[in-house]
Amino acid sequence: MNIQDLLKLAGVAIVVIGLALRLRTTLVVVVAALVTGLVAGLPLFSHEGFFQQLPYLTKPGQTGIINTLGRAFADNRLMTLFIITLPAIGLAERHGLQEQAANLIRKIHAATVGRLQIVYQLFRVLHGLMGIRLNGHPSFVRPLIFPMSVGAAQVSGSAPRAVASRSITTDPSPDNSLATAGSVPRAVASGSITTDNPLATARGTDPIERIKAANAAAENYGNFYGQNLSPVQAGILLVYGVMQGLGVTVGVWDLVKYTIPIVGASIILAIIQFSWLDRSLGKMAEVKR
Amino acid sequence: MMTSIFSAVFSLDAVYVLTGVVLLIFALMTFADRGNPRRVGSGFFWFTLGIIFALGSVMPHWLTGLLVLFLVTLDGLGRVSRGSHQPDQSSQAGRAKALGNRIFIPVLAIPIVTFAFALIFRWLGMDANRGALVGLGFGGLTAMFACLILTRSDARSLMNEGRRLNEAMGAVNILPQLLASLGVIFTAAGVGALIAQGIQQIIPANNLFLLVLANCLGMALFTIVMGNSFAAFPVIATGVLVPLIIKPFGVDPAMAAIITLTAGSSGTLMTPMAANFNIVPAALLNMRDQYGVIKFQLPFALTIWSFHVVLLWLLIKIS
Repeated sequence: MNIQDLLKLAGVAIVVIGLALRLRTTLVVVVAALVTGLVAGLPLFSHEGFFQQLPYLTKPGQTGIINTLGRAFADNRLMTLFIITLPAIGLAERHGLQEQAANLIRKIHAATVGRLQIVYQLFRVLHGLMGIRLNGHPSFVRPLIFPMSVGAAQVSGSAPRAVASRSITTDPSPDNSLATAGSVPRAVASGSITTDNPLATARGTDPIERIKAANAAAENYGNFYGQNLSPVQAGILLVYGVMQGLGVTVGVWDLVKYTIPIVGASIILAIIQFSWLDRSLGKMAEVKR
Repeated sequence: MMTSIFSAVFSLDAVYVLTGVVLLIFALMTFADRGNPRRVGSGFFWFTLGIIFALGSVMPHWLTGLLVLFLVTLDGLGRVSRGSHQPDQSSQAGRAKALGNRIFIPVLAIPIVTFAFALIFRWLGMDANRGALVGLGFGGLTAMFACLILTRSDARSLMNEGRRLNEAMGAVNILPQLLASLGVIFTAAGVGALIAQGIQQIIPANNLFLLVLANCLGMALFTIVMGNSFAAFPVIATGVLVPLIIKPFGVDPAMAAIITLTAGSSGTLMTPMAANFNIVPAALLNMRDQYGVIKFQLPFALTIWSFHVVLLWLLIKIS
């Protein structure tokens, strides 16, 4: 491997380091693209028209980096088509879309904490199937699923009433609890950071902490694996576009088809994990008695 | 004559122009939004993106490329921010009750129209993929009209609500497009070939299982470091998946590609770099251990990642 080959990997390094340092993502990606092209000896512009007269910027017979960037960006507009769905979703939200969805969740009568998580995960898979994208942590998990889980734990006796109600009431709960997708930072600002709970037992054995972790996990499991069930979702469109750029044509419906076994596995694994959670919560309750 | 009108109206370009117009309307509202501390920068960002959407098929590529650099510079300088969105607060809860489950109608119209277009395109012997994308555009349009009729709102509040959601996501909206472009430039510069060479020096080209393992492991590791499986996918696809697995073994590309992507999602479950999904929720829920969510997800993530490796290998073997 010669020096120029190694330098070509600079773009990969820039992406990895830039994102790890949490620099502005869009800038990191485009700088990586420009640097990679330049070290590979590609010209900035194609050798055509007006640009032929400029020194250094072009090389005969080679496509410029800026031209490639422009063509690829235009070819991949399909990935950002979801913007056209935003006005309707936004207006529906303003007229109670999330409140109505929350009403549906409240009607769930799950006997145990674990079963509630599974039902919620399925509810999020359904979102994916309908092509709806949202971050459910601020809009469903914090305001609804967590209190409902604590309620279920109290009914089945695995969460001591005092601890449970304390955790809820001392939380300065985000006032914009039905906030919209993407509003996480705001919700955090009005929420609070981890506090010490003197009533809790050793780390990892506190039932309330386990329940909280399970709530967030159910959201992520349902969101990550369910979102590929619709061809209008970003992941499917990204794969379609990237493969197209590599000269390989894939069908969006085929992508959806082959994600089904993965969704199935994610649901089965979650059922196993959440059943174990129910069992360990039950044991904790017995130890306390 | 009829067919040419039909194919012009129901084309991907028509949908791009439509989306461009929506973005231009967002931009004009942002320019006029005195509640946005960076209304000029933000306005220009959405305006430029709108121009690229509407005219991207006819503009010379170098111009589109320069406009992309302009977009990224605006965002890099921190000139893109959210505006103020004062909705009419007139009895939201009351309306929610009045509409009930009917509020789901416009939202459900989007996937239904998308699916219908894909079916119609296939029935007419055209590309069903294109049908789904055109359907997404017209689904959005149908949903807008359904929502306007249902809620008796005006077009202005419709667009203002769209702008609210769009600005809440912000400049990150264009990230998938940028990442796909990065993949194309990696290919042009020969980066993919280089990574493929490197892996071939370690793994024999005929050892399918080890190649599948390297593919899924690379995807998960890149995702763990970058916190984003969408960013990892172009790198792995150009360097490993296409040159070392899909092409030499004649594998169904759709199957291999989507399994590779979700192998990355398993990485997302394990990394604090995906703060939105793993760290922020721990804070939202007041957890004592900020890594509590990741610890809970770890056994699940490792198991489902292994399942990806085995599934991909088996599906290639039996085909």
